[in-house]
Amino acid sequence: MNKNYNFAFLDEGSKREIRRAALKAVAIPGYQVPFGSRELPIGRGWGTGGIQLTLSLIGPDDMLKVIDQGSDESVNAVNIKKFVGLCTDIETTTDTRKATIIQTRHRIPEIPLTNEQILILQVPIPEPLRVVEAREEVTKKMHAEKDYAPMWLQLYESLVKYKRVTIASEYPCMVEGRYMMNPSPIPKFDNPKLHKAECLYLFGAGREKKIYAVPPYTEVVSLAFDDIPFEKESFTGKICRLCGSADTYLDEVFDAQTGERVYQCSDTSYCQEVRSRAAR
Amino acid sequence: MSALLRKHNFDSVFDSQKMFRLILEAMANPGRIVRIEEYADKLFGDEPELLAVAVTLLDNGVSFSACESEPLSEEIAALTLAKRERPEAADFVFVRDLKDMNDAIESAKRGSLSDPYTSAVVILKDDKDPVGSLMLSGPGIDRCIEVPVSMAVKNALTLRDAQEYEYPQGIDLFFVSSDGRFLAVPRLTQIEAA
Repeated sequence: MNKNYNFAFLDEGSKREIRRAALKAVAIPGYQVPFGSRELPIGRGWGTGGIQLTLSLIGPDDMLKVIDQGSDESVNAVNIKKFVGLCTDIETTTDTRKATIIQTRHRIPEIPLTNEQILILQVPIPEPLRVVEAREEVTKKMHAEKDYAPMWLQLYESLVKYKRVTIASEYPCMVEGRYMMNPSPIPKFDNPKLHKAECLYLFGAGREKKIYAVPPYTEVVSLAFDDIPFEKESFTGKICRLCGSADTYLDEVFDAQTGERVYQCSDTSYCQEVRSRAAR
Repeated sequence: MSALLRKHNFDSVFDSQKMFRLILEAMANPGRIVRIEEYADKLFGDEPELLAVAVTLLDNGVSFSACESEPLSEEIAALTLAKRERPEAADFVFVRDLKDMNDAIESAKRGSLSDPYTSAVVILKDDKDPVGSLMLSGPGIDRCIEVPVSMAVKNALTLRDAQEYEYPQGIDLFFVSSDGRFLAVPRLTQIEAA
């Protein structure tokens, strides 16, 4: 551990402020609590909100897992793990079941998380209404008044134009019937995992200086019309080329030379686990 | 924090982290009683449990009230450098004497519809024995949970509900006891009819 820095890099005052914001976020599910986002040795937009939450929560008893687009080995995930390791000496893992804190970008693991685990999501744009309203003071008022008509209209226009809702990720959802929330750029495939989950979800947006949360067993409903139900991505007829799974979120891999398209699990840890089971 | 180092054994880095995780666990799972005595025992004075919560969450960025308890108020101010405030304007309201409970809950900040995070957290010291149980429901609770509670907890929740806050306005309640039990009741936690 680098002794030139405080444990977990941030000073204790910064941690306390982030902790207070996290507690308020848990008390008001889906509401974006403002906080004084700190400078980190990593550019804003590269997961600083998630990192600040991780650094404020983590302690010597924790086991950390970091994933980026489902992968434990991507540059973002590896560097965040190294950084947290340098300033905490916390053990890291790629095993989803062993982790107590999982920091993630763009995916929720395939294995259902338990009540003892906390999933921290990195969020680039926390405001679900930003696509329909650019002004922060107006979106704040819209949340206060639960005025979500423009968002519903956008969904309706998408249906009229394209016969389907065309939002692929950051698909908005309602939390406990009160707040519209951006679930971060997870694919629609992962939205149902937020509903009545056993684990605590914390969302950190470093650049936008917001923290929000979904406590365990909280109602999270993706936006849909009565006659047009919510639909997640379908991978019918496709399986993972490595483990053969047919019920996971699949990445498409295109071979430019042969023109062949193959699919493989986005959650590398889960894919590895399935292959290990099969090899036994 | 020099007073913290001189007088107490509470580690402002590692004990704060562990205390915070217990508080977060209690907030995320209302009705679950967590134990904070290991960390409260590292603080001296008459109210180590309340102080353990204070040193974990308070600093000069927030304000607090200890109601009528001047010694507790001095201790918290010395340990955390938080600003002393009237109960109706404080971010954290510490109630060590249950006779102050009604005033504290009735006057605590409820936040606004646009800024509900500006509401208060009310921390009550409650050493009374359970007289029954309450069925609680809401976010963080799998359907319903039965929690043994004292008359003080029942009265506090009844009084909270009587304020008829318009959600997301409201207050969050913490209950701590001398034997280290800690219970959190966030604003969305509801009492189910028996």
